[in-house]
Amino acid sequence: MVISLKNIFNDAGNVTQFTARFFKEVLKPPYEIKEFIRQCYVIGYRSLPLVGITGFIMGLVLTLQSRPTLAEFGAESWLPGMVALSLIREIAPVITALICAGKISSGIGAELGSMKVTEQIDAMEVSAIDPYKYLVITRILATTLMVPLLVVFADGVGVLGGYAGININSDVNLLNYFSKVLESLDFIDIIPATIKTFFFGFFIGMIGCYKGYTAASGTESVGKAANSAVVAASLTIFVIDMLAVQLTDIFF
Amino acid sequence: MNKESGSTWKLGMFVIIGLVLFSGTIFFVGKQKNLFGSTFRLHVQFKTVSGLKAGNNVRFSGINIGTVDAIQLINDTAVMVDLLIKKEIQQFIKTDATAGIGSDGLMGDKILTISPGSIAANSPVKDNAQIGSKKAVEMEDVMSSVKTSVDNAGIITAQLAQFAYKMNNNKGALSKLMTDESFSNSLKGTLSNLETSAGQFAKFTTSMNNGKGALSKMVSDEKFGKTLDSTMANLQAGTKGLSENMEAAKHNFLLKGFFKKKKRAEDKKAAALKKQEDQKKKADLPNEDEEKKAGEKNPVNAKDSIKNR
Repeated sequence: MVISLKNIFNDAGNVTQFTARFFKEVLKPPYEIKEFIRQCYVIGYRSLPLVGITGFIMGLVLTLQSRPTLAEFGAESWLPGMVALSLIREIAPVITALICAGKISSGIGAELGSMKVTEQIDAMEVSAIDPYKYLVITRILATTLMVPLLVVFADGVGVLGGYAGININSDVNLLNYFSKVLESLDFIDIIPATIKTFFFGFFIGMIGCYKGYTAASGTESVGKAANSAVVAASLTIFVIDMLAVQLTDIFF
Repeated sequence: MNKESGSTWKLGMFVIIGLVLFSGTIFFVGKQKNLFGSTFRLHVQFKTVSGLKAGNNVRFSGINIGTVDAIQLINDTAVMVDLLIKKEIQQFIKTDATAGIGSDGLMGDKILTISPGSIAANSPVKDNAQIGSKKAVEMEDVMSSVKTSVDNAGIITAQLAQFAYKMNNNKGALSKLMTDESFSNSLKGTLSNLETSAGQFAKFTTSMNNGKGALSKMVSDEKFGKTLDSTMANLQAGTKGLSENMEAAKHNFLLKGFFKKKKRAEDKKAAALKKQEDQKKKADLPNEDEEKKAGEKNPVNAKDSIKNR
């Protein structure tokens, strides 16, 4: 009991140190620009098809599912606004973050874990390259900046999916649809949702890197690192989402 | 190296499209809130704003032209509403324009509507000017007037029900008209009779107008009328002469006796008539008394007679 409690505190301490080290070293030169751009490409561009398809289906399905209820109130004209609001405020950020947790966090965890296990990280240190700077900071920065962009894409594609969903049952032209969507949007809907996606991105990268970087030796721990990275990242996303919504509610 | 540059432009495209999407959304949402683009301010003072909020739309001739920027209470009976309106609309809003508060549909948001002023070329409003306001229609006012109408409708329906009941159950002419078949049949007969007589009358009037008989001529022929007139004048003159003759005859000694005799006979006749009437009156009174007495004496007989019936 005491040992497990101690382990939890130990873990928490390690995570805090790991995070603190990121903030300490992120602004210090030398900057690994090339590796950062490569990571952005891998994390951002390579995830785009997955995020796009998910976003489109979410928009389409949300429209089809809400339509009967709204039709009961004769409020079908509010459908574009409602779908856009729920997509932009909640669904697109959370779904995108969860997908990134599954794709990116596990990828980073497995990559860094196998590097750790095969002692490539130690080799880097020997060849005078700071492995933390080269591997961790670039990845965390890339996820922090790319996940919000992916969410923006998911928003856009999701709204288009909503348009497709509406046109299954009725006939609305694109201009009318977008003017309705924009009419229902406010800064209060966009800004907090965007801010929280930066946190999502940061924690997705950070947890993946931490799990991989601190993997124990042995091939088995690579899989463990990947797995626990996904679990921890998904859970963290929900916790952050809850906190963000609460804070938004309090301040606005 | 080749692979590297291939990935770079894809990444760049991804980032740029993402940023454009995001900033585009921000811009379009901001455009609706009038944060970007040139605007001017107007102030309106209301007694009550009935739930208007900062951020609600401002409409002019049905077009959204701006938003409500701020609402503040300036004293216990006055609320100052600040409006942010597109600059290009300024020339259309005259100094005597008035603002009112309406609602966008039954369940929609409140909106502030600006009604245009008089056409008589007033100068357009200046920046930060204050325009007049119309009293907002409160839901309670609407409800109270609706209540009056509903009350009236209640009274009307009650009376209508009473009327319908009377129609169905009473014996008045109107109700008979509605329910009694024989009455309606007789009415029908009357009407058909009326029709026939009207037809005959029509025939009569036609022959009056067109025929050659004396009556028709009297009505339509002017010449005949004149002749008739002169005939009448002649007749008058003739009768006048005759009455003079008669007077003369009365005074003639040959005929005096006859006239006197006649007068005496008339006087006698009148006196006899009077006497007769008096006697009749006297005879009636005792008869009535006797009848009364007879009724009191024989109540049993009266009853019997009823039974026998």
